[in-house]
Amino acid sequence: MQLDFTARELTIKLVYYGPALSGKTTNLQALHAAADPGSSGRLMTLETKDDRTLFFDLLPLTFKGKGDLSVRLKVFTVPGQVIHGATRRLVVQGADGVAFIADSQNAETQHNAEAFLDLRENLKANGFSLSQMPLIIQFNKRDMQDVRTDEELGKLASQGKEPVYLAVATWGDGVVESFMGLLKLTWDALDSQHRLADKFGLESNEFMQEVASQLGMGDRSMDNIFDAAVGGKQKVLNPGVSK
Amino acid sequence: MTTGEPRTLDELTLGDSLTLQELVDSTALSEMAMGFYDLFRVPLRIFSESGQLLGDAAPQPGLHAYLAEFSAGRTALNETVAAVKSADPGADGEAGVSCFTGAQYHVVAISYDGRRLGRMVLGPFLAASLKVLPDALQTVIPEGDDGKAKELLSKMSRARPETVSQIARHLKSTLDLILFSGHKALLTSNMHLASVRESFRELQDKNDKLQEAYDRLKELDRLKSNFLATVSHELRTPLTSIIGYSEMLSEGIAGDMTDEQTEFVRTIHEKGEQLLELISSLLDLSKLESGTLQMRRLEVNIGGVIKDVVATLTPTAIKKNVRLKQEVGDDLPSLSADGPRLRQVLVNLTENAIKFTPANGVVVVSAKATEMDSDGDGGHVLFATMTAAVEMRVADSGIGIPDAEKTKIFDAFYQIDSSSTREAQGTGLGLSIVKRLVDGHGGTVKVEDNQPEGAVIVVTIPRKAATVVD
Repeated sequence: MQLDFTARELTIKLVYYGPALSGKTTNLQALHAAADPGSSGRLMTLETKDDRTLFFDLLPLTFKGKGDLSVRLKVFTVPGQVIHGATRRLVVQGADGVAFIADSQNAETQHNAEAFLDLRENLKANGFSLSQMPLIIQFNKRDMQDVRTDEELGKLASQGKEPVYLAVATWGDGVVESFMGLLKLTWDALDSQHRLADKFGLESNEFMQEVASQLGMGDRSMDNIFDAAVGGKQKVLNPGVSK
Repeated sequence: MTTGEPRTLDELTLGDSLTLQELVDSTALSEMAMGFYDLFRVPLRIFSESGQLLGDAAPQPGLHAYLAEFSAGRTALNETVAAVKSADPGADGEAGVSCFTGAQYHVVAISYDGRRLGRMVLGPFLAASLKVLPDALQTVIPEGDDGKAKELLSKMSRARPETVSQIARHLKSTLDLILFSGHKALLTSNMHLASVRESFRELQDKNDKLQEAYDRLKELDRLKSNFLATVSHELRTPLTSIIGYSEMLSEGIAGDMTDEQTEFVRTIHEKGEQLLELISSLLDLSKLESGTLQMRRLEVNIGGVIKDVVATLTPTAIKKNVRLKQEVGDDLPSLSADGPRLRQVLVNLTENAIKFTPANGVVVVSAKATEMDSDGDGGHVLFATMTAAVEMRVADSGIGIPDAEKTKIFDAFYQIDSSSTREAQGTGLGLSIVKRLVDGHGGTVKVEDNQPEGAVIVVTIPRKAATVVD
């Protein structure tokens, strides 16, 4: 997080992490497509011809709440390929929240787990603990054959602490919901740490509502949006409970 | 940001530290501005947020040059420049400034990612609709030539303000694309740098760990050599007694023995000698490995050494029915070496050759003057005196050495045929001792094929102790 007091501007860094080919870039593309053109910048994809995502994607979104604070959200992805370990570590530096995009296919279970451990290691290398990082898990590619069942994921998610989302990023399904869940967790964590609401008069609900409407979900209630999570819901809706 | 230090990813993506200068090339920007000027005939200047002129396509209008000839004209023009400089187009807007000459300026913010990075100034231009020149011109420089001023003014670029706004918008969208590309390239190159630095750091870590492991192994190796030296020494003492007493017994000093008893005792004596030889070799090897063996280099007549070695080993060769020959020219130069060690090298090699040569075969020991191999890098004229060397060859007509084994045979305890049923006896230390002794002389040892069959061990020793060839 970066706070510019003179410009009254807050920059929040959100990172989409996950194994190669799990749909991190597709998530960002869908998010970009959903965002109001006035509030989002260009989606920047840094890639080379032999790697699909060499460095990262960067999606800037700007929101202004009722207070005079403007909030810039920078959404990054990391390259999933094994050879870019150093890059992943660099991109995850200073992340305020992490969305872990898992591949729903049964065959990818092992890769998901490896990527998650990799995330933990890279956060550790940057001096952060995964347990303190606002985190959501998205099971993407629900439309594929031979995927882990809703029942299984639902059961496992209800036992875990972080919210779990189901998504088909290529259709945009679950993308904004996942993002909103992550943003809510991140905002609450930053707020409790830096007392943003007190300092800038920007209330969480008001801000979330603003973001939701800019992402084309203005007609849905917050509860309805957050209800999309299949596990760890308590934490999204009521952050006080888990503390 | 300190100059020269690549910026971190966070600085480049999160902060507000981006500047127009680092996103665009000033020369190329001027060229682009010139292109716009050629097309629309509206002068254009592009400034960074700090006021630095980055792109200039604004030739001074003739009128301004004329006005600047008058003191009052200069003052009035400077006022306009100041007004243009202080005009605030906001974060992403436009502002207009009018000059007393009637000319207009259009100041437009250049912004990227919601932040202002600079300004572009379009003008001076005259509104296309302007028919009558403002009186101010005459008021400011009453002494000026009104006719000339009017003529110059009429040459000034004319445009409709709406058109200029349109041009500005077009220019802005073009610039936006350039800025985006520039930002992307900047991020990519910085990311490359950061990744390389990170990978380098990782490698450095691994190197440090490897070095640590290597140092530890070297220390262990030294301990092993010490241990070997101590054990060999301790083994030799009782062995001397075994050999001595068994020899005395076999010579009948302690009384007569039956033939069978004598044979047994002789066997004990013979095996004892073999064991002593093995232990001596081990001791030599450990000394060589631990670097405690000092080479005493003196002038050595290598021809003499070879004659002596051949004479010593001729009985062994005769026993195996192998012909042992020497080929040493008269013009062989002397060489600075440790004589006894060099003799040991030749004895080991010749013994080996005899051992692996079948009956009726031939072993040839030869020597000639040569040069150390300088890898063909040239500079012969510079190094010739320093690379002078003597080459000794021990050739046999045995089974030869397969290519894959040619470097391994110099490893300690290595035997090509390591099966327990092998014909030839030996400890497997002979060649490794040779290698270390030759290394100690700064020389080289290698294996070549003999024609039509067999192997040749080639030892090259520099004639002088210090040589530039390592």
